[in-house]
Amino acid sequence: MNEPESSHDIYSESYTQRIWRLFQADSFARNGLRTVIVLFAIAALAPFLANSHAIIRVADGRVSFPIFPTLEAIEWRFLLYVPLAGMIYLLRKVIFRRPLACLLILAGVIAGIEIALALTHPVNDPTNDRDRAATFKLMPPIPYSPIESTPDQFVGPSWKHLCGTDSTGRDIAARLLHGARTSLAIGFIAQSIALLVGVSLGGLAGYYRGWFDIGVCRFIEIMDCFPPLLLILAIMGLSPSQNNMFYIMAVIGLTSWTGLARLVRGEFLRLSSLAFPQAARALGAGDSRVIIRHLLPNALGPILVSATFGVASAILLESSLSFLGFGMQAPTPSWGDILSDARRYIDFAWWLAFFPGIAILITLVSYNFVGEGLRDAVDPRLKVK
Amino acid sequence: MTTYIFRRVLLLIPTLFGITLLTFLLIRYSPGNAALLKGGGGESGGKAMTAEVREQMIKLYDLDKPPLTAYALWLGKSLRLNLGDSVVDHRPVARKIGERLPLTMSLAGSALALSYLIAIPLGIAAALRRGQPLDRAISFVVFVLYSIPTFAAALLLILLVAGGDYLNLLPMYGASSINASDMGPFAWLWDRVLHMILPVVCLTYASLASISRYSRVSMLEALGQDFVRTARAKGLPERLVIFRHALRNALIPIITIFALEMPALIGGAVILESIFSLPGMGQLMFQSIDARDTPVIMGITVLAAIVTLLSYLAADILYVVVDPRISYE
Repeated sequence: MNEPESSHDIYSESYTQRIWRLFQADSFARNGLRTVIVLFAIAALAPFLANSHAIIRVADGRVSFPIFPTLEAIEWRFLLYVPLAGMIYLLRKVIFRRPLACLLILAGVIAGIEIALALTHPVNDPTNDRDRAATFKLMPPIPYSPIESTPDQFVGPSWKHLCGTDSTGRDIAARLLHGARTSLAIGFIAQSIALLVGVSLGGLAGYYRGWFDIGVCRFIEIMDCFPPLLLILAIMGLSPSQNNMFYIMAVIGLTSWTGLARLVRGEFLRLSSLAFPQAARALGAGDSRVIIRHLLPNALGPILVSATFGVASAILLESSLSFLGFGMQAPTPSWGDILSDARRYIDFAWWLAFFPGIAILITLVSYNFVGEGLRDAVDPRLKVK
Repeated sequence: MTTYIFRRVLLLIPTLFGITLLTFLLIRYSPGNAALLKGGGGESGGKAMTAEVREQMIKLYDLDKPPLTAYALWLGKSLRLNLGDSVVDHRPVARKIGERLPLTMSLAGSALALSYLIAIPLGIAAALRRGQPLDRAISFVVFVLYSIPTFAAALLLILLVAGGDYLNLLPMYGASSINASDMGPFAWLWDRVLHMILPVVCLTYASLASISRYSRVSMLEALGQDFVRTARAKGLPERLVIFRHALRNALIPIITIFALEMPALIGGAVILESIFSLPGMGQLMFQSIDARDTPVIMGITVLAAIVTLLSYLAADILYVVVDPRISYE
């Protein structure tokens, strides 16, 4: 419809630039991406948005920061890794120029963070700073911790408790903000596991064909025959009750790679019959070079699209699991967990179902819009100007 | 074609073998077993049974044999179409599943039919108005629907229209009212329908999104093909171009995705049966996993696997039937 603007030259733009331009032109996709970024920021800053401890407290002439000693490892991780990801994005040009040196620095930084986290332990402080006298104190906007029980049980949304409270008087707004962490981390990491397994198995099957391919295809077929939720329920229900976050991530990741594997296998089958991998091989490139440098970059578009939708479905799976009581352990806030609480009190406590439902909805809608925008930008068959 | 179908059916055998073996080993190597759970005592509390009885039970359920031997025994029996008896109440597995099947099938079947009826026109309308407000509106609504978790929607719907403090139009739980046995045939049927409305609505709206999205993309692809340009070039009216040339070709992939919807439908039915307390297959699976009821879990797994595999096969065959250009020879 619109004539290409003269400001950018469509003949000299790279494939990545083209996808980015088409993606940006789609307002749903653009806003979806913005919302995802905001959600990650909320997850990273959750302890400062909802906490019973003051951020800064001045009393008896002493300045203290009561919030920091109580932060748990996962809160530090979000607090440090999310800005790190932003830094990597901003410094991407430098990184492309010196990839090895930057990779070493990055590995050093991550190792440093993890070692520091392993050495420190959070202080468990059940008191709160809400009513404590001080000459000056800066409280988070929601002055409640997610696992803190207050005397106000089943209070509807009010100025004191924005999203109401649950059966033990825990503030739902605080639980929602902290629950964002659970959902986003599980969605992201579970899908990374699925990506790793799916791309390597599917890629190898599509590249080498033969018996390995037949074996992988049968295995995919076996996995696909189990309805995903039933398979996960069986594994979770039958396994010893170690429902920690990493276990759930692994189970979701290891049961949801089949779609990606099918996709990558198909792409590799198609691509490896084209001329350019042959040309690379004729120039002396080995199997690993052809796969990593030639085939993988060409299959990257559809993989990215599928992975984005995958994150959304991983988040959905996690909340379904928590809802059915197979998810995160009790005190850890998770959106599905609030909803499963809602089920018990559904005849009067509407806020228990409404707010977490909206939170999940916003997250899934954003991820799905990003995925749809990417799909439209990547797919050359849907002729776009 | 016959050879192709024959080969595909043969290929089902190793897959089914793999699925059953995997499930069997998963149950065997998981902590707890039926004899321990039924035995009571220990952590689960209740009346402890004597060691003697427990020994007998372990023997009865083949728990004393190595996993692979036990699997071979199960396989041998099931090949003679005997799925064994439930560990919980000693009723035949086939009958237990048979009682639950109609409910789940009617739930999934009506949801599938409804979502096709609504989704295909939506997708086509969106494709024809690509980029215009109608397309964007449909995309948006369908995407928002797709992103609402079924269980959250189910809870809010119950809250709003069933029981609860607001509208009290529909029943909250179960497949029929308590006094269903006293009703006349029409009242009984009406009662069943009322109980099914909420579950079917919840199951329908989720698959609505994926089907209408497929229809839209498929229609867009068809509209971009050369034969559509040819049809327009030779002066056919737009209506004919769309319905006779583009739509027919666009329908091919839409028909076949019902196979891909099957596992999602069965999975969705599990959650909904749990929320609405419907005595279907999903609920049975839940209870069996809890009780480590191996024969029942295996029976449901085999059934679900066969249904899924056959629908994949049916999709592939339909592909050939509706599009003569494709051939598997």
